[in-house]
Amino acid sequence: MARVVVMGGGVSGHTAATFLRDWLSADHEVVVVTPNSKWNWIPSNIWVGVGRMKKEDVVFDLDPVYKKANIDYRQAKALTIHPEGSKESDTPFITIEYTGQGKEGEKEELTYDYLINATGPKLNFAATEGLGPHGGHTVSVCTADHAVHANEELHKVIAKLKAGEKQTLVIGTGHGMCTCQGAAFEYIFNIDHELRAAGVRDKAEVIWLTNESFLGDFGMGGMHVKRGGYIASSKIFAESLFAEHDMEWILGTHVTKVEEGKIHYETLDGDTDFQEFDFAMLIPPFGGVGLKAYDKEGADITDKVFAPNGFMKVDADYSGKPYEEWKASDWPRTLQNPDYKNMFAVGIAFAPPHLMSKPMKNPNGTPINPTPPRTGMPSAMMGKAVAQSIRDMINGAKEPTHTASMSEMGAACVASAGAGFFSGKAVSMTVYPVVPDYEKYPGVGRDLSYTTGEIGLAGHWIKHFLHYAFMWKAQLKPGWKIIPE
Amino acid sequence: MAHQHVEHLDPYSPQSGTMIPGGLVKFMRTCVLWQIIRFLVINLRMTKLILKSHH
Ligand SMILES: Cc1cc2nc3c(=O)[nH]c(=O)nc-3n(C[C@H](O)[C@H](O)[C@H](O)COP(=O)(O)OP(=O)(O)OC[C@H]3O[C@@H](n4cnc5c(N)ncnc54)[C@H](O)[C@@H]3O)c2cc1C
Repeated sequence: MARVVVMGGGVSGHTAATFLRDWLSADHEVVVVTPNSKWNWIPSNIWVGVGRMKKEDVVFDLDPVYKKANIDYRQAKALTIHPEGSKESDTPFITIEYTGQGKEGEKEELTYDYLINATGPKLNFAATEGLGPHGGHTVSVCTADHAVHANEELHKVIAKLKAGEKQTLVIGTGHGMCTCQGAAFEYIFNIDHELRAAGVRDKAEVIWLTNESFLGDFGMGGMHVKRGGYIASSKIFAESLFAEHDMEWILGTHVTKVEEGKIHYETLDGDTDFQEFDFAMLIPPFGGVGLKAYDKEGADITDKVFAPNGFMKVDADYSGKPYEEWKASDWPRTLQNPDYKNMFAVGIAFAPPHLMSKPMKNPNGTPINPTPPRTGMPSAMMGKAVAQSIRDMINGAKEPTHTASMSEMGAACVASAGAGFFSGKAVSMTVYPVVPDYEKYPGVGRDLSYTTGEIGLAGHWIKHFLHYAFMWKAQLKPGWKIIPE
Repeated sequence: MAHQHVEHLDPYSPQSGTMIPGGLVKFMRTCVLWQIIRFLVINLRMTKLILKSHH
């Protein structure tokens, strides 16, 4: 009998746990440790943030789903990992602290045969003074509750605009090392759409403030697509879209501090400046969730198991080589920890070997560059591949049998640019591979027959359909396994 | 003759240094018949990509 413990029941962990439970016989255990009682389809938080959906539309209770699937669900957060066991026992274990199920605050040890770290990001608002909805001056759409609050604030702004007051709305990134520009991109275009629908767009100044060095970088060094007989950069399309919608952009920024109505920032040129605002949604930088690791003797081995940013080390090249020497093969394939072979990290929780965008610093030495995005499709594919490997290892395989390298897989992403069955729009993108491979695809780093992008109503229909499809899949409703990741 | 799609641009601003879609492009983005075709094309593209990614 084997016990697989999955830390984190988000996109990647839920995928891994549900497939493992389906594939493993009943004498094996699948345990999910996750602090929330509800699962959240995070991409649809954007629509909660503009009032097009309610929180209830984008979440569901995990307990009945895991009960039905026979998954042992612990509403708790993982605190520490002991991959060598303790002085008393060689069996590896984690410690957890309950956040629900009537055991709030109780701590427990949980042994495992295989461990999947799928704990996603820590939303590190504290990295920038005054950032975020918890005591700061900006809103967020990163969780469903944040999005509910963002919508309330947005509607106050819309009311002021309707009363004839001018308002400045700033959307983008709240630190030089942020990722997830895609979410901010969706939010700014959804806001624009709502302001136009309310007939108040002319009273509002809408500004994109970003750590990207060029528009359309998105943390993946941009992308090129074939269009109108040209091979054109995402920079051109992104600039076109912002200009068409009468939005200004401020590039290459590291936000240093947010005060009431004022965002202070440094730029790639080394200048400092500020931007006034009435409403701001700035994505926080992401880090690991702060798990600690200890060896058999109880000595702290967190540095051995985790990279300095708190993400877990896997089979990637962490030698820290310069940009010119980066290769697609630096990216992990099996997502197995190099020291502890029964431990894996998937989704946002694994440590990338380096950025995807070119690293940049300003003359003051401040790094200002997007960190690599790990979007939904690659995250779920990693979860599934690791589940397949663990299933096979439980059944006798010596090594992981499946791979999910971001430099060997593509990603499909639909970025909403406004909701509405006849008036909505979204950018439908496919990128192959996610990590640019300049050896295989010199010049642009990607296969142009699989790297595409277009904006239109069809994208909105797809995004809307995907919302229902993924909520259906995650609740393990009939046919869930045939819905692709 | 004034052109409505570019009236909001400030000369010499970064916004004026890029391409702005004209009426036809904008119309086609929400033209239901054309978008039904695009819906099928995009789904096909995404299926192709998913098949290439799951090896
Ligand atoms: C606003 C927004 C919009 C987005 N839109 C898109 C989109 O349109 N398309 C797309 O592809 N991607 C999108 N993404 C990205 C997508 O949400 C992520 O790629 C995906 O959620 C990553 O999956 P994950 O499993 O790594 O992390 P998550 O889904 O964040 O899951 C992590 C889980 O771990 C839990 N956890 C945290 N700490 C602990 C702990 N100590 N112990 C145990 N569990 C813990 C968390 O509660 C959470 O349930 C968006 C992201 C945001 C923020």
